[in-house]
Amino acid sequence: MLPTLEGVPLPAAIGALLAASALIGTSRGQDAPETIEELPRAVDRPVDFLAEIKPLLDARCVSCHGADRQKSGLRLDRREAAMAGGDLGPAIEPGASADSSLIWKVTGFQGESIMPPTGAPLAPEEVALLRAWIDQGAHWPEAGTNESRRTSDHWSFQPIARPAPPEIDCEDWARNPIDRFVLRRLESEGLEPSPEADRATLIRRLSLDLTGLPPSPEEVDAFFADESPGAYDSLVARLLASPHFGERWGRHWLDLARYADSDGYEKDRPRPEAYRYRDWVIDAINRDLPYDRFTVEQLAGDLLPGAGPNQLAAAGFHRNTLTNTEGGVDQEEFRVAAVVDRVNTTGSVWLGLTVACAQCHTHKFDPITQREYYQLFAFFNTADEADLPIDRETPAGGDEETKEATGPHIRTFVEQAEEDQRESRILIRGDFLRPGEPVEPGTLEVLPDFEPAGRPDRLDLAEWLVDPENPLTGRVAVNRIWHLLFGRALVVSMDDFGTQGEEPSHPELLDWLASEYRLLGWSRKELIRTIVRSSTYRQSSAVRPDLQAIDPENVLLARQNRIRLEAEVIRDLALAAGGLLSTELGGPSVFPPQPPGISELTYARSAQWEESTGPDRYRRGMYTFFRRTSPYPMLTTFDAPDANVCAVKRSTSNTPLQALTLLNDAVFVESARALGLRSLREDPSLPTERAFRLAIGRRPTVEELEILQGLRDSLLAAFRADPGSAASMLGDEVLPEPVDPAEAAASVATARAILNLDEFITRE
Amino acid sequence: MHPIQEALLRSRRDFLTGSASGVGLVALASMLADREAIAAPVGDSPPGLPENPLCPRPPHFPPKARACICIYLEGGPSQIDLFDPKPQLNRLDGQPLPESFTKDVRFAFIQKETATVMGCPRVFSRRGECGMELSDYLPHLGQCADDLALIRSMHTDQFNHHPGQLLMNTGSAMFGRPSVGSWLTYGLGSESENLPGYVVLTTGRGTSGGASNWSSGFLPSTYSGVLFRNSGDPVLHLGNPEGLSSRIQRETIDAIGALNARRFDAVRDEEIQSRIASYELAFRMQSSAPELIDLSGESPETLDLYGVGREDPEGGGRGGGPGVYDQFATNCLLARRMVERGVRFINIYHASWDHHSNIDAELAFNSGMADRPVAALITDLKRRGLLDDTLVLWCSEFGRTPLGENRPGFKAVTGRDHHPFAFSLFLAGGGVRGGQVIGKTDEIGWNVVEDPVHVHDYHATILKLFGFDHTRLTYRYQGRDFRLTDVAGRVVDPLIA
Repeated sequence: MLPTLEGVPLPAAIGALLAASALIGTSRGQDAPETIEELPRAVDRPVDFLAEIKPLLDARCVSCHGADRQKSGLRLDRREAAMAGGDLGPAIEPGASADSSLIWKVTGFQGESIMPPTGAPLAPEEVALLRAWIDQGAHWPEAGTNESRRTSDHWSFQPIARPAPPEIDCEDWARNPIDRFVLRRLESEGLEPSPEADRATLIRRLSLDLTGLPPSPEEVDAFFADESPGAYDSLVARLLASPHFGERWGRHWLDLARYADSDGYEKDRPRPEAYRYRDWVIDAINRDLPYDRFTVEQLAGDLLPGAGPNQLAAAGFHRNTLTNTEGGVDQEEFRVAAVVDRVNTTGSVWLGLTVACAQCHTHKFDPITQREYYQLFAFFNTADEADLPIDRETPAGGDEETKEATGPHIRTFVEQAEEDQRESRILIRGDFLRPGEPVEPGTLEVLPDFEPAGRPDRLDLAEWLVDPENPLTGRVAVNRIWHLLFGRALVVSMDDFGTQGEEPSHPELLDWLASEYRLLGWSRKELIRTIVRSSTYRQSSAVRPDLQAIDPENVLLARQNRIRLEAEVIRDLALAAGGLLSTELGGPSVFPPQPPGISELTYARSAQWEESTGPDRYRRGMYTFFRRTSPYPMLTTFDAPDANVCAVKRSTSNTPLQALTLLNDAVFVESARALGLRSLREDPSLPTERAFRLAIGRRPTVEELEILQGLRDSLLAAFRADPGSAASMLGDEVLPEPVDPAEAAASVATARAILNLDEFITRE
Repeated sequence: MHPIQEALLRSRRDFLTGSASGVGLVALASMLADREAIAAPVGDSPPGLPENPLCPRPPHFPPKARACICIYLEGGPSQIDLFDPKPQLNRLDGQPLPESFTKDVRFAFIQKETATVMGCPRVFSRRGECGMELSDYLPHLGQCADDLALIRSMHTDQFNHHPGQLLMNTGSAMFGRPSVGSWLTYGLGSESENLPGYVVLTTGRGTSGGASNWSSGFLPSTYSGVLFRNSGDPVLHLGNPEGLSSRIQRETIDAIGALNARRFDAVRDEEIQSRIASYELAFRMQSSAPELIDLSGESPETLDLYGVGREDPEGGGRGGGPGVYDQFATNCLLARRMVERGVRFINIYHASWDHHSNIDAELAFNSGMADRPVAALITDLKRRGLLDDTLVLWCSEFGRTPLGENRPGFKAVTGRDHHPFAFSLFLAGGGVRGGQVIGKTDEIGWNVVEDPVHVHDYHATILKLFGFDHTRLTYRYQGRDFRLTDVAGRVVDPLIA
């Protein structure tokens, strides 16, 4: 219609359009009935569903309300679905056509938007037939049900294939099938992969990717010197076995789990026990708990036979939701909000689907009805937060009101006792005050069968998610791991594998990885080992001018990517370079120094921040107490998520506040001081080079060293001229005897520059 | 659900699901707008952000406002005692309301069975040429009445603080959405080379929403509000470590820049150039931010106009902690100085307007704190020619009930509960037609009876003033184009001059 407006004076066009709109308003030219008496009367004879009604529904309704699409969650091609109704409640009230919204819709009754939305409205005779059929009991024989199950030809809903690694021209380059998939694509585009990164880059890349800690200069040198063919593999093996692997990959998982140490919302009370879940994650990843089991324990640990403290800690995954203890809140409102969050998070983490879109109405784009949303909701609606003693014998029903456990306990997520289980209903428009039709726990019809024995529970859901037939769980998981090792995912829309998401850049590689993950027994460590062993992973990350025009986003993987490190890791690196980092694993969260005035911003200045002392000042960033309404500023500045909702991907901003943090934040000033003095101590003749290597690993180039030496010389002169400023630069540090304070201060100030280099906070 | 919400829901749904012609008009409108657009606006450009995410960009059509100062009085100031006179309340004082009013309504604390109407001792008078009725608690703002566009028909969906604040600040009661300031900086970039584009100032204790109120949500954190502080460095880590002179800092940043440039030569990653630019801006901020907060160049007359240096009155309310009178006045003056320096969006927060009890004294204290500096801000902007394109907002998450709060445990009824169905806020400057009142509430201020303005409508109007079609300022996230106004919002045209 719009193109025909070309050339017509616009006001006239608008006028014409307005006139047309008046004409074809809600009821498109008919007088919309306002009273029941005005509705066409039911025909006065028995109506045959198969002969008279089904053809009408098929012709006028089913294209939007059938197997392919379920607008407003309604299907009119199957008896059960039609009788169950849609998002707005039942459509058919057998025996009462005047009360059936189906009749209101097809007549535009009392201003209802008329259905079908296109074409001529139903003729009065057709409405009369429909009314008679409903008044006569809406009889729908078996034969009248379309047997079509909802399907989708969207790629991510198809079974995971096991594609054969393709033939390539340059056989030498391929270390494993990953390389074949990548190189095949590059060769087809006439491109060559990048050369392997140098060894100093490789060891730093691996150390940062696998443990989040830098290699020492000695480790770099040893790796450089080790010419044995197994040098790379044994480095990988050492890093995978490090307990810091669990910290590094655990922190990635905690983003998804929206883990924090406080309740959120106004009062934002501390959760001193929350760390037990965090520690479970670190431990589970360190012992390489297979991803299927890792999933089951977190979604349904409390339901496992003989669940012990470990499983209960794992079930804390869905206890990480927010709790609103603001005065005057309706507890039910926020309980429902937490259940909604659990559904949405589960959908994002395992299915990579935006199921959240179906909370208020049937998904606009993906095959997820609102009814299905509340089927998922039903799984989580019958469990509550509860404190359980750690050494208890048998699981008890959860009840958040009464349990105030004494002694060692764990706060987790526990199924209600069978007799108390809440009923679940569709919430109309997602409003907890508008319950609609009841629903039973169930999954998405477009995905493989879900046929548990008995009433399904979360354990059934978890097992269904990790069933080898499920096409999404494996793809979504390997895609996330790929993203963390390349800085770019194969499916860029990591949280949306639905029809609005991006297509995979390498669909066969994605499927190969997903199938490989299963073949490896869902071993996270083995999958990561496979990926980091590939030539693809080992490429240089330098941007290639020849690729800039063809592939500026590096979709084709003709190189690695440079990745701005995560907030926690940046802190860890600085402390490690200075030799300050405490490498203690786990335990209650700590309170490193933070600038004044942060906790004061919380509600009624209620947050306590009692600074930790001793080594706890220098723990890894992931152990910093995370208070949702006043997060640790350094973490926020470097894009740590706010832990209010599941964070599938962190952003990597580049702001002046980051510069000011690295230059002037107490942690970084202390690290620079420690690094400067350490370098002077460890290599008095070349402290600048030593500091550079402690921070970045590789040796500086001659030119880089010249710049740093120039800075150092200039600062040395300044500190000589102003001994007072040298003294304050050094703080309370006691210098060993022969060291000149100005020298030491110059080393510190030079180390500070090194800790501010882009390369320092980048995984190359 | 309350009848008015029901009705609005219905009208919104009808609009959305309505006839084919409705869709056609929307499409036509956007086609027309496209024709007039100066350049590709952010939401319509292909995915990915401009190279410099803060580079100034034109909106969809010529804007009226260039900068915004949003004064957020957290907790729900009583519209009945400040903006919306209800003499009927004094006649009904102590009487219960008919059940039809409270039947399906949820309260935070009020016990419906025994709740009664609470009269209002405030005296309202007509102010300005427009004759806008304002309370005796707002004597200075009364002098600006002809610049104010007062909305008495605001309504919201949320009646608890934090969700209400999220809705008011981000257009959604759910976490993870960008705030108004983030949307505007994302859409327009920043005009300041030395200061952040979006600054947050707080007075007294924190708000219940904390940082989520100025979060960039799913937008890059570049668009988050930058919190300026009340004591110490105005920006976190602005000051160099002790013993480190500005000269040393300059040399250090030069060396960092030179080394980063070498690295760029080696790996050609443009992120490194952004990093170099970030350090330069950081260095400039180190001198411009202290200059910004240095009020020594302001005349005594100006300082006095705002009330900078005022002591808190004796025996006043809790008001968010000691020294808030001076802090709030200073923040208002700082906001004007930021506008002069090209800052796009300034949020001034003050928490403590949640007057469940002792409302007369507490509100007197708070109004005394806010009235003079906000009026001074409007006056000062106007005489400097800045009000024309600077939008000043006074808002909160909801209002307060005409019923007295009879919470169990309270000795007497001296306050009001949260009221989402009808509340007031005002706009001034920035292309807003001043001297007018939009909307009407019923005799007791319970419901809106004329021209309801939902939070989404308010947001749509703000975006319009800045030159945006609120349906087209979008950001793709999780496969969907998100906007500040979700799927709702209609511009309140009479607000716009």
